[in-house]
Amino acid sequence: MNLTKHLQDRVLTLGFTTLLLCVLMTIVFPTQFATVDNFSQILLNLSIDTIVAVGMMILMIAGMFDLSVGSTVAFSGGMAGYLMYYHQTPVFLAILAGLLGSLVIGFVNGWFIAKGGINPMIQTLAMMGIVRGFALMLSGAGIQNFPYEFIYIGQSRLLKLQAPVWYMIGTVLVMAWLVNKTVFFRRYYFIGGNEKAARLSGIEVEKMKIWAFVISALLAGIAGILLSSRLGAALSTSGRGLELRVITAVILGGASLSGGYGKIGGAFLGALFMAIVNNALIIGRISGYWQEVILGSILITAVGLDQWLIRRSQRVKLKS
Amino acid sequence: MLRIEHVSKTFPGVKALNKVSLEVHAGQVHAICGENGAGKSTLMNCLVGAVQPDEGQLYWENEPVSIRSFQQAARLGISIVYQELSIIDSLSVGENIFAGHPPLTRFGMIDFAEQNHQVRKMLVRLGMAALDPGQKTGLLSVAARQMIELGKALIVRPRLLILDEPTASLTDKESKVLFSIIREISQQGTAVVYISHRMPEIMQISDRITVLKDGSYQGTFPTNEITVDQLIQKMVGRALTTFQAKSHATSEVVLHVQNLSGKGFQNVSFEIKKGEIVGFAGLVGAGRTELALAIFGETPALSGTIELEGQPFLPQSPREAIQKGIAYVPQERKWLGLFMEKSIVENIASSQLEKGWYRKHIHEKNAQELCRNRAIRTPSVWQQVRKLSGGNQQKVVLAKWLNTRPELLIVDEPTHGVDVGAKAEIYELLKEQTKAGKSVMLISSELPELLALSDRVLVMYQGQIVKEITREQATEENLLHYASGRTDSISSP
Repeated sequence: MNLTKHLQDRVLTLGFTTLLLCVLMTIVFPTQFATVDNFSQILLNLSIDTIVAVGMMILMIAGMFDLSVGSTVAFSGGMAGYLMYYHQTPVFLAILAGLLGSLVIGFVNGWFIAKGGINPMIQTLAMMGIVRGFALMLSGAGIQNFPYEFIYIGQSRLLKLQAPVWYMIGTVLVMAWLVNKTVFFRRYYFIGGNEKAARLSGIEVEKMKIWAFVISALLAGIAGILLSSRLGAALSTSGRGLELRVITAVILGGASLSGGYGKIGGAFLGALFMAIVNNALIIGRISGYWQEVILGSILITAVGLDQWLIRRSQRVKLKS
Repeated sequence: MLRIEHVSKTFPGVKALNKVSLEVHAGQVHAICGENGAGKSTLMNCLVGAVQPDEGQLYWENEPVSIRSFQQAARLGISIVYQELSIIDSLSVGENIFAGHPPLTRFGMIDFAEQNHQVRKMLVRLGMAALDPGQKTGLLSVAARQMIELGKALIVRPRLLILDEPTASLTDKESKVLFSIIREISQQGTAVVYISHRMPEIMQISDRITVLKDGSYQGTFPTNEITVDQLIQKMVGRALTTFQAKSHATSEVVLHVQNLSGKGFQNVSFEIKKGEIVGFAGLVGAGRTELALAIFGETPALSGTIELEGQPFLPQSPREAIQKGIAYVPQERKWLGLFMEKSIVENIASSQLEKGWYRKHIHEKNAQELCRNRAIRTPSVWQQVRKLSGGNQQKVVLAKWLNTRPELLIVDEPTHGVDVGAKAEIYELLKEQTKAGKSVMLISSELPELLALSDRVLVMYQGQIVKEITREQATEENLLHYASGRTDSISSP
């Protein structure tokens, strides 16, 4: 009985699976896998995704999701890059403009969904295209030659880890702490658990929904700035497919599409797991095409297992 | 045609049916009546395979059958019209009436000409000849949709037609059509089971009447040999609940509602005093819940005034109402009251999510205390609410709201689906509130409950308060009398 309960805690099971995968890889590829350089690379690769995944996790706890985050990543980088390159705007102000733009995107999404009653899927799908269009207008074929201060944000190192990794760690820790400890973020579990009951319990569901989209878009904006700084370029194509990758990570990390469940740590673990699987496939010289096949299969297995466990525990209850 | 012998069904904590036997004859209209919770719906669900009886046997034309699904019931020729609509708003009238089994052409395609033809014929029968079969049902009135629901049941030419409170949302005109259809099909040999607690209708339409009370069979009577009064007697005639505590009502007015109108109720005026329990009686759809939701700010009233402790008060959201000291325990606890997947602690905390830190240990201690005081039986306060019994779930909802220390507690069907023991505890709890000077607005369809708890009972009918009855005058008979619109002094609009 207790085992079933532990098996239902995704942070535990996913953490364990990740660990198992690491141990296996260390045994099979001791010289290639378990090195500081390799791990620093894995972490760097997942840092942008994770920052976006944290925002997505909050939305999914509340029973919603945002397909426009990938475009927002491109938009905020493009916005900052455009201002710096064409208008010589100071770095600080350019970044601020990028983030402000993201914030507006989040607000528009949230407002139409909460007040306008548009389904999140439709609203953010539309926004995904609209924002991508703006990103294209801003950065066109791509903007390069950024001031040193801007490059420094994403390319400096501390303790052998690149800056984006530290931003990711900071984001995960701070958000995990806030989600655990503040009433504000706790409300999302209630909204996702039962929206009507949440309203009748005095939670201002509409306002909270708008906030969730604003926070998620802001995190995507931060990720966008980091990405363009790290690449030294603002590309209109950056963040393509990111939204689905992030949603996959968040679901692997224990969120449910219907809401009410999930932890910030789960979003990180989901992204970490995906990055390690990718890394393992590369080291194992397995064709990149298999990557998607394998991740898809893992997602179905994880969610299927969950459903099976839920049904099993309910059957046990009926018998007793 | 259909015979039921000694059917019993127990739900967790409630014996919904207790050895019920019944015979339905072809060509007859068989009414089943009883109060809310008497087991009418469960019995009907047994007939269509939605619920499996624990004991007993069903016979269809003298052959023993066990009906396991709707499909099986449909194959036998049993058709049902539920009180809740099962038609799909985004589809047309015709598509709804044929509900996935349209007439086909030789090539297996939908035969639209035939479908339209049959639908038109059906609409004429339903008294809605002017309706276009291609019209989407979402735009139609509730009454029209209810009639389409009926058409959907009739199109398969059932041998047994079950109607559950069919007139609840119909106007007089449609009710007349319904009755003439019932007469017509019963003359053609169809058996009709008619479930209702509207006495005048039952007397008018049925051949025989079976009375259920608290899940047990009270007898079957030929309609022309029994009077309404005798029927009501049989429906309610039980040992009165001994719970009759003394009143704590004072003269200080807490809530003063004047000419309030909104969705589902019009021109409602009443007041609730400090320490008073005011009962609201009425049939389903009488506007009681809508009124409560307006006072709670969920669906703000359209006109009229509310005064709370002498201050004008028109809440635009539940949050505003809660801050002013109002709590609302909703009717459907699973959909509106609880976070089923969450723990007791979180459920109780849900009404206390004001700004600041989420103090888990305080909420936990709070929940432990409430569980002890409110006799919520659970292995742990971290238990998922889903896993609790109905009675304990309801106590969790009550605990959640009492935790906000409300001045006015609105409870909507507080003991629905709750076992007898938990019922008594909930009554105790409500009385305790009034003793502490709080007020209670009690919406209930269980008459003994209203009688036992209320200082006054207001009876609502079609969105209006039609009668105020004091505690001394109130009886189950007169409450039922006014609630079913059989009033001498008020004419319905």
